[in-house]
Amino acid sequence: MRLRPLLDAWNSFFFAPQSPLPIASFRILYGLLVIATLLLLRPDWLTWYGPHAWVSLSTMHTLEPGSRLNLFTILPQNDAWIEALFWVFLASASLLTVGFFTRINSLLVFLCLTSIQQRNLYITSGGDTFLRLAGFFLIFAPAGAALSIDRLIRIRRGKEGVSILPCSPWAQRMIQFELALLYFSSFCWKVQGAPWIQGTALYYVYHLDEFHRFSVPSLFLRPAALKLGSWMALALEFSLGVLIWIKELRYFILVLGVLFHLWLEYSLNIPMFEWDVLAAYVLFIEPDDMMRAWNWMRERFSAEALQRWRAF
Amino acid sequence: MPTEFPGTAQRGHFNTPQKLKYVVINLFLLVHILAISCWALPFNNPLIFSIRNLVRPYFIWSGLFQSWDMFSPDPKRVNSYLEAIVIYKDGSSILWSFPRMELLGPNERYAKERYRKFEENLQNDQYSGLRPDAARYVARLNNRESSPPKTIMLVVRWSEIIPRTDETYDRGPWNSNIFFTYDVQPEDLK
Repeated sequence: MRLRPLLDAWNSFFFAPQSPLPIASFRILYGLLVIATLLLLRPDWLTWYGPHAWVSLSTMHTLEPGSRLNLFTILPQNDAWIEALFWVFLASASLLTVGFFTRINSLLVFLCLTSIQQRNLYITSGGDTFLRLAGFFLIFAPAGAALSIDRLIRIRRGKEGVSILPCSPWAQRMIQFELALLYFSSFCWKVQGAPWIQGTALYYVYHLDEFHRFSVPSLFLRPAALKLGSWMALALEFSLGVLIWIKELRYFILVLGVLFHLWLEYSLNIPMFEWDVLAAYVLFIEPDDMMRAWNWMRERFSAEALQRWRAF
Repeated sequence: MPTEFPGTAQRGHFNTPQKLKYVVINLFLLVHILAISCWALPFNNPLIFSIRNLVRPYFIWSGLFQSWDMFSPDPKRVNSYLEAIVIYKDGSSILWSFPRMELLGPNERYAKERYRKFEENLQNDQYSGLRPDAARYVARLNNRESSPPKTIMLVVRWSEIIPRTDETYDRGPWNSNIFFTYDVQPEDLK
């Protein structure tokens, strides 16, 4: 075995320049998801993060000691400042979505996101965690290199041409790695539990009242179906963690992943998690395929628009 | 802003700052891939433990800590919810219920899910330090000027999920337990 091919593969994977379209598309989805998370939190913002919240800042320090990136520790503890943080966070997430001062806003969004989670870790879910981790690596990514106001400004100032320039994708790869690790780790945790191996796990999950969302046809709640579902979940999590790296299998696995998460979104009340995870699927789409899909949609919709115009 | 690095094209044509940047990024990648894998994967051996301990301060500070163990290794087998008994100074009492997901409409349930998560942690003895704060919050919510709350009791009610032999589901009887009692102080109500 020789070292050179390994080094070349490493370099090619992390550094071979590629179109920033996937990471820019992810930036937009990510920004929208952060905004949605904030809007869901809005009615309870002070309930969770205010000076008289369910959990006080000092209790958080006691229960979760250690130095932490947390803006709440430097903010004056009164309603006005905590409310101001909400609006700064929302503004920053909106600017990140449209790609204006992208780098600064990706940093600010990460800081705000990690702060609200560190302020109360006991209401944080898997979706929040994934947003936080993806946000960390998004800071380093060329997320404003396409589909952004930053790029329009650069073009206007003559600093960049019309064609999108390729960039090093190492930060994008780290978000992809995080997503794959999420699935593989979930798989590893599950195979340690007898109910998942025996196929009874989903039986209990679907009989937990607190997770019910929309009504599920009784056919899917039969023990045989739930047993099959438990094993399919294991197989899918393994595939999304490991086999997704095999190019020939990737799109097939992604489609199964989308169906899996849509089913969970319909049947279980786990807010935002499915969308937070699905957003990162865009990073696994080849930029050329993305361009093809975009061109196809543009041609189709512009042709339709032309036809409608003529009919009018 | 195209970025190329040594090893991807034109080897040997890079100046010192570019090479330094390449080395720093590679170190960053290697350290993070190793550290995140050791942190997130549920494999337990002395080497992984020592790596976790080594990176713990950095992970805690930066927010890179993570755990992907939802519904695993064993999913919960009981339905439960929390209530609080509020006893006032004049001897009267009320039963206050935390938001119960199953009683909310689909939209409200989606927005209030963090209460479910919080209640789950409140029941966990590992986080018993949360309970005085929660009791104080309940006291403030139910404060009466004429007769303020004197004692708050946190109650968990639970019912087991029992598989029947005919493969259907049965709900066990509801049990309850007062798992925390708090004597309210006047300053708690401010």
